[in-house]
Amino acid sequence: MLDLEFYGSCTLDADGCTTCGDVAVPVRVVKIEGCDALVEDRLGHQARVAVDFFTDLKVGDALLVHMGVAIAKLSDPGREPQ
Amino acid sequence: MKYVDEFRDPKLIEKTAEEIRRLADPKRHYRIMEVCGGHTHSIYRFGLQDLLPENLELVHGPGCPVCVLPMGRVDDGLKLAQDPQIILTAFGDMMRVPGQMGTPLEMKAKGADIRMVYSPLDALKLAQKNPERQVVFFAIGFETTAPSTALTLKRAQQMGIPNFSVFCNHVTIVPAMRAILDSPDMRLDGFVGPGHVSTVIGCRPYEFVAREYARPVVVSGFEPLDLLQSLVMLLRQINQGQARVENQYERVVPWEGNPAALAALAEVFELRPYFEWRGLGFISQSALKLRPEYAPWDAEARFEVAGVRVTDPKAAQCGEVLKGVLKPPQCKLFGKECTPEKPVGALMVSSEGACAAYYNYVHRAEPVSGD
Repeated sequence: MLDLEFYGSCTLDADGCTTCGDVAVPVRVVKIEGCDALVEDRLGHQARVAVDFFTDLKVGDALLVHMGVAIAKLSDPGREPQ
Repeated sequence: MKYVDEFRDPKLIEKTAEEIRRLADPKRHYRIMEVCGGHTHSIYRFGLQDLLPENLELVHGPGCPVCVLPMGRVDDGLKLAQDPQIILTAFGDMMRVPGQMGTPLEMKAKGADIRMVYSPLDALKLAQKNPERQVVFFAIGFETTAPSTALTLKRAQQMGIPNFSVFCNHVTIVPAMRAILDSPDMRLDGFVGPGHVSTVIGCRPYEFVAREYARPVVVSGFEPLDLLQSLVMLLRQINQGQARVENQYERVVPWEGNPAALAALAEVFELRPYFEWRGLGFISQSALKLRPEYAPWDAEARFEVAGVRVTDPKAAQCGEVLKGVLKPPQCKLFGKECTPEKPVGALMVSSEGACAAYYNYVHRAEPVSGD
C-alpha cells in the first residue's frame, strides 16, 4: 500500500491558496459510493469527494484530491529521492 | 524519517545543492523560470535560493491564477453579486482580491450575498438548497481546477438544476508560456514545469517548448528536494545543449495526464479567442468559456456581465516581474505603496504571487533600517 506522505504534506484541512491547486491533497480511498468516495488523508481526516474521473477505483487506492474532486491516481515510481 | 521528511532531509538537500553548484558552469549565467506560483512559494519558504550559486537565477512565472486575473473580471463578479437574487460563491483566496469596487469580502460586509466555498460542488449543493435564488460560482484557476468546474457543470446538466451557473475565468498555462517565450525580453534557459496542472494535461503539451524554442522543461513536485532535483535535471540538459521534457514528479504526474478529466474539459469548455491577463495583456486562446450546450449554466450568457476593463496602475511593474525582466524589489511600488495587506499589483495579491512570497519570506527578514 502506498504511503501518503511520499506524495506531499497537504491535508484535507490545509489552509492556503487553493486556486492554483498546489495544495492538492494525497488521500486514500476508504469507501466508494457511485461517483463519490469517502477518503482519508495522512492524519486520518475524512471527506467525501467526487471520483468521476476514475472508473477502476478500489478501497485502499491513493488519490490526489483538489477542490473536492480526485484529479490523479498516485503511482509508486519504485524509488526514493536520490 | 520517511517520505516527506526525506524530501526535506538536510543532508540530501545539501548533497543535491552541491551537485547544482558543480553543474553550474561559472563562465555562464543560467536563468530558469518556475512557471507555478506554488514553486515560487516553496523556493522562498524553504530558502532554496540561498543554496544556489549566484549564476543560477530563478525567475518567477505567471502560474498564479489569482494574480493574473484582471481587476475588471473581479468587478464583473461583484456587479453580479449586487443583484439581490444572486448568491455569488467563490474560493476563499478570491475573497480578498481587490477589484475597483473593492474586494468580495468588503462587498459582503456591505450586504451582498457572497459566500466562500471549498469546491464548485458545494456551490451546486447551495443552489439545490436555495431553489428560489440564483447561485453563481466565480470559477478561477488553471487546468488543475478547471476539471472540478467541468464535473460540476456536467452534474448540474444531468440533474437539471436551473438556478446554478458559472462565471468562468479559467485560464490555460501553455499559451502563457508561449507568450513569455515570444516576448522580446525573453532570456530564459529552461522551465521548471507546473506539478499539479500536469496531473491533468500531462507532460506532452510542453514539448513545443523543447521543439520550437530549444528550451528544456522539467515538471517538478513542490518539496525542496523535488525542486533541487529538477534544477539538476535542467542543468544537465542545458550543459549538454539538450532540450527535452522530463518528469521529476513521476509519483504524481502521469506522462499522458488524466484522460477522463481532459475529456470532461473538452466536453464542457471551448477556448476563448483571447483573454486578458494581468501583467501580460491579451493572450489569444488562453482561457476557457462554456460551450453553447452549457449556455443555461453560463453566467455570462444568463446575466448582464458588464465587461469592465480596469487599467492597472502604471507604476506597478507586474509585467516585467512576470517575464523575469525585474525582480520583485526592483519594482518602484514594492513594499511601499504595494504590500500584501494593500496590494496594488497582481503579484502581491495572492500568497502564491512572486511579490507576496518575496515580501513575506525575504523582505520581512531583512534588517530594518534606522530611518
